Amino acid sequence: MATNTDHTGTMYDLTNVLDIDALASVRPGSSILVSGPAMTGKEALAYDILADGVRQNEGAVVVSTGDRADNIIADFRERAGSESFPLGVVDCVSDASGGETTDNGVYTHHVSSPGDLTGIGIGITKALEGLHESGVEDGRLALSSLSTMLTYTDRKTVFKFCHVLSSRLDAAGYLGLFTIDSGAHDDQTLQVIKQAFDGMIEIRERDGTREARVVGLTSSPSDWKPLE
Amino acid sequence: MYLEGKTTRRESMSDPDAPVVLIVEDEPDVAETYNLWLQDDYEVRVAQNGDEALDMLGEEVDVVLLDRMMPGLSGDEVLSRIRDSGYECRVAMVTAVEPDFDILEMGFDSYLTKPIRSEQLHETVENLLERSTYDGLLQEYYSLVEKQATLEATKSSAELAESEEYEELTGRIDELQDNLSQTLGGIEDDEDFIATLRGLGNGDEH
Repeated sequence: MATNTDHTGTMYDLTNVLDIDALASVRPGSSILVSGPAMTGKEALAYDILADGVRQNEGAVVVSTGDRADNIIADFRERAGSESFPLGVVDCVSDASGGETTDNGVYTHHVSSPGDLTGIGIGITKALEGLHESGVEDGRLALSSLSTMLTYTDRKTVFKFCHVLSSRLDAAGYLGLFTIDSGAHDDQTLQVIKQAFDGMIEIRERDGTREARVVGLTSSPSDWKPLE
Repeated sequence: MYLEGKTTRRESMSDPDAPVVLIVEDEPDVAETYNLWLQDDYEVRVAQNGDEALDMLGEEVDVVLLDRMMPGLSGDEVLSRIRDSGYECRVAMVTAVEPDFDILEMGFDSYLTKPIRSEQLHETVENLLERSTYDGLLQEYYSLVEKQATLEATKSSAELAESEEYEELTGRIDELQDNLSQTLGGIEDDEDFIATLRGLGNGDEH
């Protein structure tokens, strides 16, 4: 997609996490699909990119359809290597409702199910609001995973959700990362969902080695690079 | 002066394509004021209470201005029945006091606090109509993207390069992308964003 909002924010450099030239200067407001088979580290890659942003004083928002908020926060503590960070979590798993702020300042919003798009939107809005109020201007959002959402909602709705959310992130100048299990959907579904994003980080496994490449952010796909 | 819905409809503008606004308000003077303000730009219909509003609801209604505090069915009840009905109209709730609840979590698309000024009313209705335009564009965009994916899945790249249909489709998709990014009514602020997401889940099934 090509939204054309002007941003004064600085470009996002993701090469600390994934050393591919196409990721050295990603335009604020870009939304990137992280696609690959199951168990290839899509989510870990997205979270590492968020933690790397936090080390550069950026905000982070995690929308989780698989892990509870407390697990996300504990995991984030390890990745970021610090005790407190500007993080908002939208938890679509726990059996709770509403929002709360934990001791270390993490805002958590609970949504009843990964199919509750309005609830997810409210959670994201509040998380962004909280980060903005704490003085954070730039940030990165990770949603994991679209595959789970696709089991709750049809393809059309998920596509529209991605488009609307991407536009929202564009307006906020945030970077978006959305994971999808490429083995869980037919080619046509993947093709349609891809169209809602500015670009894609594709992950594959060859002879026991995980590799990644970037498609769509530059005029031609990057070469495959081993993923650590 | 008191006007019933049907009378009002006849007296309003003649443009058959004008968006339809349904005013639900139990105080006739207030309803008539809104009507006067809006009737040059929209086809206005007036319901005096919740039951009448539900009777007057239909595919053609674009925006509902709904008084929250009415005798009989309350605005909240009318709203939930409108949502259940599956009609895709946008609803602005008119409240007597600034809402102290979390408006994002309520089911309406916008709200206005009394007393309302003419300018405010126009702005709200326009904004809600722009949101509907955004939804319509997004719907069309999706259909084209799906068609494109089908062609890509069933034809070789040589066939695609030859296909006029594919070329036209790709052109339309680019055009719609531009239109969508210019119609920011769908996501302009938090309220718009949430209302747009709320609209994705319902009304799209047909």
